[in-house]
Amino acid sequence: MALNRETSGGRWRIRPDGPAKVTGALTYLTDMSMSGMLHGRVLRSSHPYARIKSIDTSEAEALEGVHAVLTWRDVPGLNGYGIAVQDQPVLCRDYVRYVGDAVATVAADTPELADYALSLIEVDYDALAPVDDPEAALADGAPKLHPHGNVLHRAGYERGNIADGFEGCAHIVEETYITPRQMHAYMETEGGLFVPEPDGRLTVYAPTQHGLMDRLQLSRILDRPQASIRIVSSPIGGSFGGKDELNIQPYGALLALHTGRPVKIHNSRWESVRAGLKRHPMKIRMKTGIDADGRIMAHDVNIIADTGPYATLGAEVLNFAVEHVIGPYRYEHLYVSGVSVHTNNGMSGEFRGFGGNQAIFALEGQMDRLAYKAGIDPWEFRQRNRRRAEDPGPFGHPIAQTNGAEQVWRTLAESALYARRERLAYAASAPSSPPWIRKGIGAAFVMHGAGLGFGIPDPAGGRLRLAADGKIEALFGYEEFGQGLIATLELMLIEEFGFAPDDFRIVIGDTDRVPDSGSTTASRATSMMWQSLQRMRDPFRSALLKAAAAQLDRPAEELAIGEGGVREKSGEKRLLLAYQNLAAGSSEEIAVETNFIFPASDTKRIGAHLLYTYAAVAVEAEVNTLTGRVRVTDQFHAVAAGPVMNPQGYLGQIEGGSSMALGYALTEEAIMDEGRYVTRNFDTYLIPTIADSRGGFEVVPIEELPEGDPHGPRGVGEIGSVGLAPAIAEAVFQAVGTRISRLPIDPSELQKPTDALRKAVKDR
Amino acid sequence: MIEPSENTGAKQTLQCTLNGSPVEMDVQLSKRLLHILRDDLGLTGTKRSCEIGRCGACMVLVDGKPVNSCLTMAYQCEGKSITTIEGISGDGIDPIQQAFLAEGGYQCGYCTPGMVISVIALLHENASPSEDEISEALSGNLCRCTGYGGIIRAVKSAIATRKME
Repeated sequence: MALNRETSGGRWRIRPDGPAKVTGALTYLTDMSMSGMLHGRVLRSSHPYARIKSIDTSEAEALEGVHAVLTWRDVPGLNGYGIAVQDQPVLCRDYVRYVGDAVATVAADTPELADYALSLIEVDYDALAPVDDPEAALADGAPKLHPHGNVLHRAGYERGNIADGFEGCAHIVEETYITPRQMHAYMETEGGLFVPEPDGRLTVYAPTQHGLMDRLQLSRILDRPQASIRIVSSPIGGSFGGKDELNIQPYGALLALHTGRPVKIHNSRWESVRAGLKRHPMKIRMKTGIDADGRIMAHDVNIIADTGPYATLGAEVLNFAVEHVIGPYRYEHLYVSGVSVHTNNGMSGEFRGFGGNQAIFALEGQMDRLAYKAGIDPWEFRQRNRRRAEDPGPFGHPIAQTNGAEQVWRTLAESALYARRERLAYAASAPSSPPWIRKGIGAAFVMHGAGLGFGIPDPAGGRLRLAADGKIEALFGYEEFGQGLIATLELMLIEEFGFAPDDFRIVIGDTDRVPDSGSTTASRATSMMWQSLQRMRDPFRSALLKAAAAQLDRPAEELAIGEGGVREKSGEKRLLLAYQNLAAGSSEEIAVETNFIFPASDTKRIGAHLLYTYAAVAVEAEVNTLTGRVRVTDQFHAVAAGPVMNPQGYLGQIEGGSSMALGYALTEEAIMDEGRYVTRNFDTYLIPTIADSRGGFEVVPIEELPEGDPHGPRGVGEIGSVGLAPAIAEAVFQAVGTRISRLPIDPSELQKPTDALRKAVKDR
Repeated sequence: MIEPSENTGAKQTLQCTLNGSPVEMDVQLSKRLLHILRDDLGLTGTKRSCEIGRCGACMVLVDGKPVNSCLTMAYQCEGKSITTIEGISGDGIDPIQQAFLAEGGYQCGYCTPGMVISVIALLHENASPSEDEISEALSGNLCRCTGYGGIIRAVKSAIATRKME
């Protein structure tokens, strides 16, 4: 059944954070200000690659109204950051390796003065030729960007014997897929407020996807205990992975501690583009062979990822891509090799889909090409080769089994949109009206891992307590960046416990208050909140009832928790003790906490997942052969991710993720030239507008899980952003017969003068 | 070298109406309305995002017309009536805002004030816009989270509610 407001009934709720958002009353962290605050700015590198000969800050320091001009000399602790590897300098000392590298930071009375002070800092650079191509970076004799060279990480996987695998294949497809440097383009650029407190602590109000990780990273940089730093990190005006790594936090923190005054930083869009993460551009070469029955015999893959100057999660993204170029299919012989390469281009890093977007665009491209060569319907081709129930995961590792692959395959096959495909295929040879508009339908099949994978610390947990004022507090170390996490947790608390919305208070995004729940990434937060509540539900309920029983002098077995307080278990379920009174009458705090690890596969393969979400996406697109432009006119998404925890959030994740994939397929690319961004703002970086988003859209969630499945809801935060691009590529092929191997689609590849036009020109 | 010019020129008196109340303030006449609202007046419902008039996050009504406040200088506001998101509904919720709530026409919410302003301007001008007209009127407001599905449903629902009233 399609997911929408009508089919969701009473579970379709107004989000708790909604009223403040639609009225503009919500204070984002970049909206904050304080009397006496200073304005921080960062001096970024003038060159993609250069040696720093000297930095002279004297003129800037002498300027009245400038309170701090800091360089590498002023970093008290570790002059480096990075979630996985701390190789990105906070402030560069000897080399700059990309145009976003920070060289100095300034605090001044006004933003204008801070900008002016930046212009007075003299950095003497010895500019070096930038390494702007990952293959050039791998060549012998290429300049080494780091002492260890230019390879951040290699990953691969092998099964069978690939050389033998191609022998006797009936058809072989070889293709090279190229994917763009996509920008997260969150509407709120990075920023925040940094406040030195009277007690010597530092409060950081700045968006992130993992407050406790920011606290750890800042404690290393500032050389102060984690306990002396408080990170307040929600609400957030969009992130999509882009604010997972530190961005402006080190500068705000250093400036605030140095001056003893609050400091505000709020990036301009250009600074955000220049310094921020992007999706890894990848070049994926695939050679895949099938036998006469259309079964895949051999799949040979090579991935080259441009990871930019520093690590962040580049290695983990490559691991994910290696897993997902294998995906939901069976192979006789398999060989995958991948390398993530340092260059002097922009920073690449974590971004919704996490390497799956690139991998699956290539993999699904192969499936469509092979099916065409073999003369098999492309969806039937996937059916022949897709994983079966009880098959191991892509690395041959144990996974939590569901029937997701089968379910989404069948649901798409039965969809009205896909049923139109045959008619369209018939019509493809017929004249269309107008003749320059051609229609096609394509589809893609997706299996996407959730959680950080085996071998990477992936903690989870939460806390429930009855606060002194009688509110039940649900505390989680997660962040709200728009996805609807607060709304989802609210619905879980209502449905799992029977609380009324007014009975509880949700506390997130404040390291002084929340337990370690791990990061709000990798489609993991909804799963982990649900699992935490499963673990805490009975103990917390028992603790509440035990305290109530003592106060009411009645056996706990006769009591139940419900709306407003403790109620009689049977009969009219009369309210006996309001939560407020229960709290007031309890001498001890009623609280439970759970800490566990995101379920991981029993394997030794780093990054291999246990939990997967499955999706099938069909799309109808129109190609205008005069302009070469592609318009998406209808979409169908089947998603198997277990029970829907929050209908509005689920639909919103698939719609919003799909919109990102639309941009990825058609218009989005942060173009660089010799290590410098050509694309600097939304005038040339084109994300979809409402005008690009008018087609039909249906999401069918498949909620059924195997009996006894202990894992509950799987994540849906990323999977919507993955399948649409390859489905569009196939729709374009169906429409005009042109194979797309590079994104975003270049309209000039699709422009074809019509007969009518040709005639018109000839007749003149 | 950048001179700190834009906001250090001589201040002059600006008189206008802001959210229904007369305002008189001394500002540099080239200062952008976005910064006056956010930094000088603390009206942070108007959002800063691209600052080149492409994203619509900073949209306000000037004499009832939607404009990007990042492209509007102080002198252009002289004698005008400016309405920000804070002036739309007072302490309550406008029916258009209610439609955004009911349909889930927002996620992170950062584009939402500007989006609501554009919808208000559209429906004020045209009570029953066609799909083409909705698309035209809102194509200057970027949203990265929703994919616009919830926004389109919210606008249609607001139109339908108005018709019933």
